[in-house]
Amino acid sequence: MLQISDLSARVAGKDILTGVNLTVQPGEVHAIMGPNGSGKSTLAQVLAGREDYEVTRGSVIFEGRDLLAMRAEERARAGLFLGFQYPVEIPGVNNVYLLKAALNAKRKAAGEPEVDAYEFLVLIRQKMKFMQMSESFLTRGVNEGFSGGEKKRNEILQMLVLEPKLAILDETDSGLDIDALKVVSMGVNSLRDPKRAVVLVTHYQRLLDYVIPDQVHVLSGGRIVKSGDKSLAHELERRGYDWVLGAQVA
Amino acid sequence: MNAALRSFEAQWRARPADALQPIREQAMQRFLKLGLPTSSDETWRYTDLRSLAAQSFQAAAGEIRGTLDPNAALSLVDGTQRAATMIMINGAAPADADNTRIHGFTISSIKSLSKLDHGALLRFFPPVSDADQRRWVLLNTALFDDGLYLKITERVTVPLVILHVSSGAGAQEAAHPRIIIDAAPGSSATIIEHHVTHGEFAPLSNSNTHIALGQDAQLEHYRVYATSAGATHLDALEIHQARGSQCKQFTIALGGGLVRSSLDVYLNQSGASLESHALLVGHGDRHVDCVNIVTHAAPDTRSRQTARAIAGDTSRVIFNSKVIVKAGAVHSDSQQSCRGLLLSPSAEIDTRPQLEIHADEVKCAHGATVGRLDPDMLFYLLSRGLDRETAQSLLVYAFLADVLTGMSVTSARSAIESALIGQLPDSQTLRNFK
Repeated sequence: MLQISDLSARVAGKDILTGVNLTVQPGEVHAIMGPNGSGKSTLAQVLAGREDYEVTRGSVIFEGRDLLAMRAEERARAGLFLGFQYPVEIPGVNNVYLLKAALNAKRKAAGEPEVDAYEFLVLIRQKMKFMQMSESFLTRGVNEGFSGGEKKRNEILQMLVLEPKLAILDETDSGLDIDALKVVSMGVNSLRDPKRAVVLVTHYQRLLDYVIPDQVHVLSGGRIVKSGDKSLAHELERRGYDWVLGAQVA
Repeated sequence: MNAALRSFEAQWRARPADALQPIREQAMQRFLKLGLPTSSDETWRYTDLRSLAAQSFQAAAGEIRGTLDPNAALSLVDGTQRAATMIMINGAAPADADNTRIHGFTISSIKSLSKLDHGALLRFFPPVSDADQRRWVLLNTALFDDGLYLKITERVTVPLVILHVSSGAGAQEAAHPRIIIDAAPGSSATIIEHHVTHGEFAPLSNSNTHIALGQDAQLEHYRVYATSAGATHLDALEIHQARGSQCKQFTIALGGGLVRSSLDVYLNQSGASLESHALLVGHGDRHVDCVNIVTHAAPDTRSRQTARAIAGDTSRVIFNSKVIVKAGAVHSDSQQSCRGLLLSPSAEIDTRPQLEIHADEVKCAHGATVGRLDPDMLFYLLSRGLDRETAQSLLVYAFLADVLTGMSVTSARSAIESALIGQLPDSQTLRNFK
């Protein structure tokens, strides 16, 4: 599904990613962990197509296509979804209009007709209920005045409506209380199937108690320095990142 | 003396005297003495009138060639929901103005009123200060042929529309439309002034509207500029507010080549309050210069000014506002918020909120920002699969939404939204959003 080879990127003249290698197969959940400043969010943004992040080396193949040659909107329509660490507020643009436009953009790219207005409303209400979101989300501006937890739920709602092939969730667990974390995890788990994959970018292993990863990677200094199964996350939690980083030096 | 001034003077000399002659004479002499404003005049810094000054103008006739296609003008208010539409052609009041009966209004031409109650009329021609802002008003006073006097006598809920049609028989004509709106104490109304062009030639339009709000009167007033791309429009609006009166004013610039729009508000007695909203759209090579001056002349007065400007292509939009708090106008409360959004590297927006305070214990806030589309917002929309043009248009629309949502006349709001969307990139996709 996703093959990242030797990916290096620079932000504002500073090298942040220095040769990331990662392969994600359909049906898998990968967790990317690492200390602050290790390049986790940059990796997520580069994969989603943020233009002010300059790729200096390497390649990314997504579903057999050269991902780096695609614009952000093309990546989204091809089935890549980024759940933002800090979802932006857009007053004046209705939350539901955006969702409908996003869904229709994807359908159009796939040669499908636009979604019927009634069917869309049924779909959105069902997903909102699943995510335990209040009706007021239908009328509000995108993330406008949402609490941190509401914003994250909204990201997962968008993901559930768009049904991406690959979801990259950037610190979706940060700032969530335990109830919200459970709801968000339930949302992510509901998307798991043999044809889809999820990449969880997270600082803590807490989320991984609810969304069990197939592989865990540690990103440090802009590259993956250690990979393992879910037990690696527990070990990191117990021994801290210094343990991996120290081992790296040795 | 430049060509324009000479031609205006010639028009003045050719004009038969009427009941307003002393006022007109005084205004014309002042105008000739002061001349046309130039870029060295404070409020005209950004608008170059040199090419206008080099032209000779003829008076535009109060009639149009051919018939007026009602669909040519953007229809702002549904026929069933308006009190009436008064059509002013190049400033001439409708022939039947004096016989028009509309519930809640007393309507006449200014000429008829000057014969009937000359003293009452003089109220609406206050002495003009030396402010360069008012230069064209002097010319309007001297040369306006006839105008419309609207007295609001009751509380009226349906809007009244004044359709200003600019229509020339040839190039280099000028018209000086004049409107007086006189709101009786306790009355309430909505008035929409809509400026459009008919036919190939658009005369220079030097329009002036004078509004007087009596005690506790309420008015929602719109002026919508939707003239053709080559049109030059200089529009001055003056509002005088008595105790407890409330005015909500919308200035919407969607058309024209050169638009100069001024608003002068005098909050003369305590409890008077003003809400002014400007939505200024720069498109093509349009030049929009908007100047607001709000004077708090009494204690406990309140003003809110919101301006949203967008500029695309090679357009230029200027919004300057000034709040003056006179000595003794304690507990004045004013806010100015100007935001500009640049959509093209060749466009320009200038905005400057100013304060001049001569009283203690006042609350005055102002803020101004000009920027480009927020890259984080844009990336968010792109990352959801929206194409770039749609995403940009959506953000522009959202930027202007503040002003649009404040409009109470929903049909006018939809018509303005629709015209506005037509000037944004990828308008079709955006229409589907609505």
